Amino acid sequence: MTPNQKREAESTQLRLEGVTKRYESGGGSVTALEDVDFAVQRGEVVAVVGPSGSGKSTMLNVLGLLDEPTSGSVELRGRPVAGLSPSERTDARRESIGFVFQDFHLLPTLTAVENVRLPTAFLPGDATGRARDLLERVGLGDRLSHTPDELSGGQKQRVALARALVNEPAVLLADEPTGNLDRGTGTRILDEIRGISDGGVGVVAVTHDDLVTEYTDRTVRLVDGVVGGA
Amino acid sequence: MRSTDERFPALTLAVRNLSRQRVRAGLAALGIVIGVFAVVTLGLLGNALSLAATEELGGLGNQVIVSPAEESGAETLETRDLAAIQRSADGRGTVVPLKVTGGTVTANGGRTVAQVYGTDRPQALFGEGDGSVPAYHRQGAIVGAEVAAELSLRRGSTVRVEGNEYRVVALLPEIESISPLQPDSAVVLPSEEFAAPGFSQVVVRADSAADARAVADEVESRLNGRQQRVSVFSLRSVVDQISEFFGLLNGFLLAIAGVSLVVACVSIFNVMLMTVSERRGEIGVLRAVGIHRSQVLRVLLVEASLLGVVGGAVGALLGTAAVVVTATQTDLPLWAVLQPGNVVVPLGAFAFGVLVALVGGLYPAYRAAWEPPVEALRG
Ligand SMILES: Nc1ncnc2c1ncn2[C@@H]1O[C@H](COP(=O)(O)OP(=O)(O)OP(=O)(O)O)[C@@H](O)[C@H]1O
Ligand SMILES: [Mg+2]
Repeated sequence: MTPNQKREAESTQLRLEGVTKRYESGGGSVTALEDVDFAVQRGEVVAVVGPSGSGKSTMLNVLGLLDEPTSGSVELRGRPVAGLSPSERTDARRESIGFVFQDFHLLPTLTAVENVRLPTAFLPGDATGRARDLLERVGLGDRLSHTPDELSGGQKQRVALARALVNEPAVLLADEPTGNLDRGTGTRILDEIRGISDGGVGVVAVTHDDLVTEYTDRTVRLVDGVVGGA
Repeated sequence: MRSTDERFPALTLAVRNLSRQRVRAGLAALGIVIGVFAVVTLGLLGNALSLAATEELGGLGNQVIVSPAEESGAETLETRDLAAIQRSADGRGTVVPLKVTGGTVTANGGRTVAQVYGTDRPQALFGEGDGSVPAYHRQGAIVGAEVAAELSLRRGSTVRVEGNEYRVVALLPEIESISPLQPDSAVVLPSEEFAAPGFSQVVVRADSAADARAVADEVESRLNGRQQRVSVFSLRSVVDQISEFFGLLNGFLLAIAGVSLVVACVSIFNVMLMTVSERRGEIGVLRAVGIHRSQVLRVLLVEASLLGVVGGAVGALLGTAAVVVTATQTDLPLWAVLQPGNVVVPLGAFAFGVLVALVGGLYPAYRAAWEPPVEALRG
């Protein structure tokens, strides 16, 4: 191992090795991911692109410990997650991974601040201050107690981003972070994401949007579940 | 808000979720209200009725009446019979020997036929809890309510019984309970006023139902060993049957009420199933951002229980109020409703309502919390 490789291994936040994900359904089996090797480092922004149905969301779910691969291994900061119990996986998600979903997935009954501190709801201590700071950072300091139906699409996406960051995750996983947004708002979100990665967070963003790739360090192309390179 | 948030995050989330579908939550809680209301009203009414009836019958069941057996041919009990009865009842109740005959009673120009009782201890027989009936009776006449009304008698009036004149020393209060004696249409004289020496009946007023049974058994074994000397009469079995009937009635009423709670349970189940299927995605998000299955389960169960707590409290209060109002508007005595023992009815019904809601929410909550988050998010 060269010193360079070693440094890279230490800073690897998430790694997939030979990951295959197969869905068995009535019509037969669908291979959503096939023998995928992938890693994301600290402070790196990786775009995952590819045609619809190529396995991007599946890959993100596996990376985010929401889904288990059929074969292959997933490592979170150098530790394999295969042996974790459902409860330990839940803890790992809360502690290390921030999700930004394509359609925001904010809880409609909660205000912006409450949505942001939701991951900490069952933890001791009050994360309201941190939630407020994060909302201010994404430019929503004046929308703290608005509920999602009182926010625009871009504002909701920023609340979702703040929520993903509330536990200071090692990795941020974003599925189509700009999918529903106009170009201007999309740019704002991407600026934010760039800033987050500069703080040391590894970012994986699934996208159809060429705009996104302008902001990323590298691009991984998926075709029919196989990584095809940049 | 924040401090409850911090301490009871499940409660806050549950309240928010319920307030989003107020009408639906209200209807689900209404099912519990109706069920708990039914249990409380029927339970309290049944309890109160059976209490009131037992009170009415109470003294009756504790009385044992011993009279000469028909086979013996005797008209009166002998002194040794009386002694045996006294020994049997020792420590278990009061023994009141009684002479009974019929007679014409006249006063103030009126005339009626009445039962004439001879006893020296009228209070034990006719004046339970009433100070106006003397404990011991040596002279004069005590007149039953009906006779007194018919002949316009008051204390101090003069009355003729079978040709002898007596001063009225007391009036018997109108009796409310059922009794084998008929004091309302009777005149009670001291037993010396009767020519015959023996007693035609001995009434034992036992201290409790169990004592009454024991006395009856012992009198039987003492006096009816070789031959049938006396007949022992007790209304115990009738009272027992009546109590048993009320027990059955109560059970039946509660079963009907229970059915409405089952319906309420199904409605909570249905509402929770609807809620969790609508909120599948949200629950998936909770799981994805690191909220544990058990914590999601807790939120959903708190939601279901809140429906039960609110519905149960309203139902228990309304039910109790309805029974109290019923008691004030009808012959049902209020004391029988407000018995301290009756507190368990609304409390129990409330607890049962909460339990029913919890049970109704259990499966939907479990299903939602245990669903893999990827699937919930995709749906
Ligand atoms: N639960 C499932 N059961 C069966 N097949 C599935 C399931 N989830 C995904 N697939 C299949 O796996 C493949 C990859 O799906 P995935 O959602 O990862 O695609 P994607 O690249 O995110 O597409 P898009 O850009 O449209 O979101 C598709 O062929 C899809 O039909
Ligand atoms: Mg997708």
